[in-house]
Amino acid sequence: MSGADPPPGTATNPPAASRLIVDARGSWCPGPLMELVRVIREEPVGTEFELLSSDEGSRKDVPMWLEKAGHRLVEFRSDSGFDRYVVQKTHE
Amino acid sequence: MGDVGASPAEQMAVVLTENSADKLLPFATLVSGAVAMGMRVDVFASYWGLLAFRKSSGSEPAVVSPGHGEEGSRLEAALRAKKAPSWRAILQMAKSIGELHIYACSQSMDVLGLAPGDLEPIVDGVTGVATFVDRTRSANVTYFI
Repeated sequence: MSGADPPPGTATNPPAASRLIVDARGSWCPGPLMELVRVIREEPVGTEFELLSSDEGSRKDVPMWLEKAGHRLVEFRSDSGFDRYVVQKTHE
Repeated sequence: MGDVGASPAEQMAVVLTENSADKLLPFATLVSGAVAMGMRVDVFASYWGLLAFRKSSGSEPAVVSPGHGEEGSRLEAALRAKKAPSWRAILQMAKSIGELHIYACSQSMDVLGLAPGDLEPIVDGVTGVATFVDRTRSANVTYFI
């Protein structure tokens, strides 16, 4: 992941994992949630996403949306300056 | 839209009459949040709200609505410093993930001497108020901004 960083919100496939990274750092509320909604619509069932967000509001909004939409929050981790949400799409 | 978690009947109606940054950013944020939650959103842009969608208006009004004195200038500076997102880009993103319709108020078009070609393509069409009200008569929530 060195050199060319993807623009915010771009889904890329890191070589070491089968997770799609959705880098929404710097995006204002509800940007990270919108990015997540977009990629979940586009990718097949079973795909895992790693959403990166520096938006505080997402800490409540993302889990709430996942519960309503019925997708799975696999892991939440707070890093320095941003949060990681590992999410799995469980249905169409 | 089954993946978004709301019933298709859930609908938000928004009447937008302002075009300053301190109204357009909260407007775009509210609308995009509703779309992300699976609601259908219908916007009626009238008067200054319609001017916000005029092609020549540029997408980022830096101007805070009057009456806020020094706080207004402070907000403008903060929006620049914190790299505020483009309100139009937020709406564009919302359109790409769900159901967002933006209508221009026909009366405002007449008063301001605007033709449909003067508006940004994100505007879906020009309608009279009765058509908008009919379209949103079963909306769960209505906002006037």
